[in-house]
Amino acid sequence: MRYWISALIWVVAAVAYAQAHLPVREMRVDWDRGSPKVSFSARDLADESVRQELSSGLRKRLQVTVSAHFKGSNRRMAVRQFTCDVTRDLWEDGYVVRIGTGSLSFKTLDQVLDHCLAVKGLFVGEPKSYASREGREIYFYVRAEFNPISKKQCQELIRPSPGDDPVGPITVSIVRRRICQAERTLEFRSDFSRVPE
Amino acid sequence: MSRFERKILFAIGLAVFLALGGSIFLAQGALREVYRVGVNERFGAELVHGVEARRAQLMALRASTELAADAVRWAVEAGVRSERETEALGPLLETLLQRYEVIQAIRVTDSRGREIARVSRPTTPGQAMRSTVREREATVGNATLLIAVEVAVPEMYFARLQQAGEAADVYSRLQRQSASVSDIYVWVFGVLVFLVIVVAFLLGAILSRRVTSRVAALAEASRQVGAGDFTVTLPTGARDEISELTQAFNAMVRDLRESRTRIEYLQRISAWQDFARRLAHEIKNPLTPIQLAAQEMAETYPGDDEAYRHKLEHARAIIEEEVATLRRLVGEFSAFAKLPSADLSASDLCELMQAIEDSIPAMLEDIGRGSGAPVEVRVSCATRPIPVRMDLMMLKRGLDNIVRNAIQAAYSTKPSGGGRVLVRAYATDHKAFVEVRDNGPGIPEEDWDRVFDPYYTTKPEGTGLGLAIVKKVVLEHGGEVRLDRAPEGGARFRIELPLTGPR
Repeated sequence: MRYWISALIWVVAAVAYAQAHLPVREMRVDWDRGSPKVSFSARDLADESVRQELSSGLRKRLQVTVSAHFKGSNRRMAVRQFTCDVTRDLWEDGYVVRIGTGSLSFKTLDQVLDHCLAVKGLFVGEPKSYASREGREIYFYVRAEFNPISKKQCQELIRPSPGDDPVGPITVSIVRRRICQAERTLEFRSDFSRVPE
Repeated sequence: MSRFERKILFAIGLAVFLALGGSIFLAQGALREVYRVGVNERFGAELVHGVEARRAQLMALRASTELAADAVRWAVEAGVRSERETEALGPLLETLLQRYEVIQAIRVTDSRGREIARVSRPTTPGQAMRSTVREREATVGNATLLIAVEVAVPEMYFARLQQAGEAADVYSRLQRQSASVSDIYVWVFGVLVFLVIVVAFLLGAILSRRVTSRVAALAEASRQVGAGDFTVTLPTGARDEISELTQAFNAMVRDLRESRTRIEYLQRISAWQDFARRLAHEIKNPLTPIQLAAQEMAETYPGDDEAYRHKLEHARAIIEEEVATLRRLVGEFSAFAKLPSADLSASDLCELMQAIEDSIPAMLEDIGRGSGAPVEVRVSCATRPIPVRMDLMMLKRGLDNIVRNAIQAAYSTKPSGGGRVLVRAYATDHKAFVEVRDNGPGIPEEDWDRVFDPYYTTKPEGTGLGLAIVKKVVLEHGGEVRLDRAPEGGARFRIELPLTGPR
């Protein structure tokens, strides 16, 4: 029992430490019919190297994940993720951005970045996620990633050699996590706010 | 955990750790080398060059479409003089379509937007194409014609560029992470090796415990034997050196137990012999004065009282009879007390059988009180000599007792005939045996251990010394005598003697 309590204390302390060291960025939070709508900018994810990569003619991914957490806890109340697959059109001048099943065309890269990294009024979770938690302090955690290789694609690209080798699948799994992670990641959180009564 | 077990576990752990630790070290070097060969800058650069080449190819294609559109414009301007001379436009556009593969269709409209010519290439089924339209304005006479050139390249070119880019991307990531990836392999290998070490260690512990527990049991049994407990017997299951050691230990304890039993018995017999000697001495001395006194009392009676004289004579007869019985007992006690130790010499057990056979008629006469007891006695021996070290006279004396008892038992059960006694000698690989069995009433099993004790007898006139003498003699021969039930239902005595040579 003592070990469980100590482990719990360690987890709480680690979470509090991680939250304290996460950069805080100004985010606008509006509540609409019981759900928060967040607005923020993660355009600084696109540094010079990212801009070059986005202009390479190859399809590159911009992925933004926003999640709501209780203060002092790692427990996630709600999460929202959206992905832009950006391709500079070498055939025509401009950029093609695919979001889900639809696609949009933009003339400039800045327009693309505005659309994908400057988030305006993004709903994070359903009203039921916040129901009966009125008055509790929460924060929003944002993780913006450039070019994370999707799990499916990663599995296709890095495969264990066929056979009964027990080391291969384990190692490949770890290597995938390492190799397929985003080329650039930006993390920050909002200030603490309260779920409205 | 015993010290022995700890040492074995330490040895197992050390051996496994050294072997597998060495393999990790070697694997690390080998992996890094393999990774260095497989993932290096040159391959990475070639992949990037491949991507650039595909991109350049696409850009060149794009440039070629622009050139093709320009070429169409120039050809139209050169081949058509005015907006009204459009009949030459069709063949001209067909020629251009054949010349430039990238062109899919050409459409010419006049300044009012009316289509004045159109040519197109039939589409190739199953091939996805990415097309676009390059527009040009051609000045023909005073008019301006709008030329829309539809150009297309296979979608596959873009897909290949994307695939090449992704491969180069992953390779570039692998290259950047090369050190850590090879370390991951080593770590995973190390973890698996550690698990193997743990499993090997546990297996070693289990197996060593099976060995060490048996060694510990041997040590504990040795301590018990040292403390005088000779009843210890250890189980012998597996067929290995420890099992052989256990078997040897059990045999040693069994020998010790038998030796101690033998020694104890001989000590007890010796004490009984001492007691018999004293008893014989103390009883023998007053017997003669008692007998003489009784005779004198009877013979020197001076009176005339016939009844009293008769009483005296009767008393004298009783005293003389009892004195005679006492003399016989004293004689037997004395003989038991003076029983010498066996003087062993190399002999053939069949000689003993012959001697026994010779004495059978006298025994039958004696037991039958002069008329010969109707008991069938068969004496047999192996066809080959049975070499043993024995004192023929002593052993015959002991065996006589057993045979006599057997005949008496058979005779008592079947006095009118039908009694049988079998005396036979035989040998196995290491032991010689003399077996005496009868079809008499047998001896109750609860008495089997006591019949060899001195003075234990079930016969009214017995002294209980016969079987004690037998056992003493047999023990002095390094043998053993046992009693059990004969197949015929009577008693079976089996004397076991060590063989002294090959048969």
